[in-house]
Amino acid sequence: MSFLQAILDGLLVGGVYAVISIGLTLVYGVMGIVNFAQAEFLMIGMFVSWFAWAYLGLDPVLAAPLSFAVAFALGWLVQGQLIARMLKAPSAAQIFLTVGLLIVLENGALLSFGSQFRSVTTSYQTMSLSLGALFISVPYLIAFGMSLACGVALWWFMRTSWFGRAMRATAQNPMAAQLMGIDTALMYKMAFALGVGLTAFGGAVILPYVTVYPSVGGQFVVLMFTVVVLGGLGSVAGAVVGGLAVGVIQALSALFFPIQLQNLFLFLVFILVLAVRPQGLVGASR
Amino acid sequence: MKRWMLVVLVIVAAALLPLALNPTGYWIRVLTFTLLFAAMAQAWNLIGGLANQTSLGHAAFFGIGAYTSTILLLKFGISPWIGMIAGGALGGLAAFIIAIPTMRLQGHYFALATLAFGEVMRVIANVWTPLTGGPGGLSVPFVPPSFAAYSFKQLLPHTYIALIALIIVTVIFEVIRRGAMGYRLRAIKENPAAAEVIGIDTTKVKLQTAVISGVLMAMLGTLYAQVAVFFDPDTVFSAAAISIRVALIAILGGVGTPIGPILGALFIIPVEELMNDLFSAGAAGLSQLIFGVILIAVILWRPRGFITVFDALIARLSSRGVR
Repeated sequence: MSFLQAILDGLLVGGVYAVISIGLTLVYGVMGIVNFAQAEFLMIGMFVSWFAWAYLGLDPVLAAPLSFAVAFALGWLVQGQLIARMLKAPSAAQIFLTVGLLIVLENGALLSFGSQFRSVTTSYQTMSLSLGALFISVPYLIAFGMSLACGVALWWFMRTSWFGRAMRATAQNPMAAQLMGIDTALMYKMAFALGVGLTAFGGAVILPYVTVYPSVGGQFVVLMFTVVVLGGLGSVAGAVVGGLAVGVIQALSALFFPIQLQNLFLFLVFILVLAVRPQGLVGASR
Repeated sequence: MKRWMLVVLVIVAAALLPLALNPTGYWIRVLTFTLLFAAMAQAWNLIGGLANQTSLGHAAFFGIGAYTSTILLLKFGISPWIGMIAGGALGGLAAFIIAIPTMRLQGHYFALATLAFGEVMRVIANVWTPLTGGPGGLSVPFVPPSFAAYSFKQLLPHTYIALIALIIVTVIFEVIRRGAMGYRLRAIKENPAAAEVIGIDTTKVKLQTAVISGVLMAMLGTLYAQVAVFFDPDTVFSAAAISIRVALIAILGGVGTPIGPILGALFIIPVEELMNDLFSAGAAGLSQLIFGVILIAVILWRPRGFITVFDALIARLSSRGVR
């Protein structure tokens, strides 16, 4: 039974992992850049949501759209001012530009908000529903539901809107897209802003069960990379599968092994997948 | 033709510089770490520059070196000089083991896989308490100062050991770069498929380079342990403080060139120290924030490294008809 419980918990947490990682894969898919600072936008999303809770009395989950908006604006600025200049630079320089961004964002937060841990209190924090012998934690369920809604909204946007189609066209062939009259620079901005916005959204919905502090991104960075590599770097559908898989792997390894080893299994799976199937489990969409 | 004279001059200047600094002061420490990080970045440069594989996991080998010599000293009283060789062997073995599954990967994929490998080592060192002391870290025990015991009263001998290490690693880098292996690596870098066709065993060459780089990095780990005296898993296996920093130093200076890592270290380490010195009294995070801003500015200004400043300068001079 505890086995089923672990799988259930893993899936609920994994849904959130999927949403926070979609941004990473989206940015790579559209412009071929790996954003090492992605997890710092998660931290920003959590802070926005925390302040909305502390000063406006807003539930952190309801503040998620606000987190999305703040990160979206910041991402728009970062892409336009920094990333856009590096699109043709060597990949090593691209990596280190985003590492620089990581340092700036993390220490900017440390400078502005201090190093203390902050958490929220909500009425549903400790509640759980029972499903036969299984228990479903309410904050996990809410975060999962919000992430699901967000994922579906993105899917709908990418499928049906002109922006979504133009962005996919840019990902496939920037030159051809440009010839068709698509402003690719705008698409890059859109993809980056949307990507970091989604991650920040994910940060807000997990606030009821995760504490926020300036270096919280470090907890999530390898996890996010594992998700996107499992699913195939650049594949949005893959990120969903990868997110759920990572959630379940984490929950199961916690069941059988000491908690300190939890990430070890994640890293080993990560290296193994890279070595055996670098295009990801879902397949090559790029 | 007079290039070797310039090199000798620089080495002599570097050898005299520590004597000009206060032997118990702060700046000799900065100089020692600058030299050490330059050597580490040069070891990284073998795989990152010559083989064009951006490794973000070199802390794995570095930490192995630091732990091996310190554990041998603590448990068996073995001199760190011998421990350094043992650590180098283990570092080479680790580089071999990680290279097998990752060598075919390129660009971002290779960077991510090696990053995860470094993290694996960090987790293991944190968990394997009986051997590593776990999160509590290890202290290098005090032994009566002597060269054979690699123990000194002052920092100065450490500074010179770091300088000699930098020279040795740079010479190895140059020998490989100019030798047959360097040509093979260049061929692989330009066109892997064509290199394969003309009979280069690309996997073997990359593997050899990775192992040499891993051995050197691990040996430098011992040097670090002996200077730092205390370390824990989160310092020597740190992705940010070791893996990413050494790659950054090489890239900022000019990747694939022998001078690049030295230029990079001369910039990064003193700037970091200066920022800490100037702003550590201020709010937490300020010094690192400014460091990050400088980093971004430098990358935007010179995505291919500082070394291009000299290229541009020479190009300008020669176009003006000077020389």
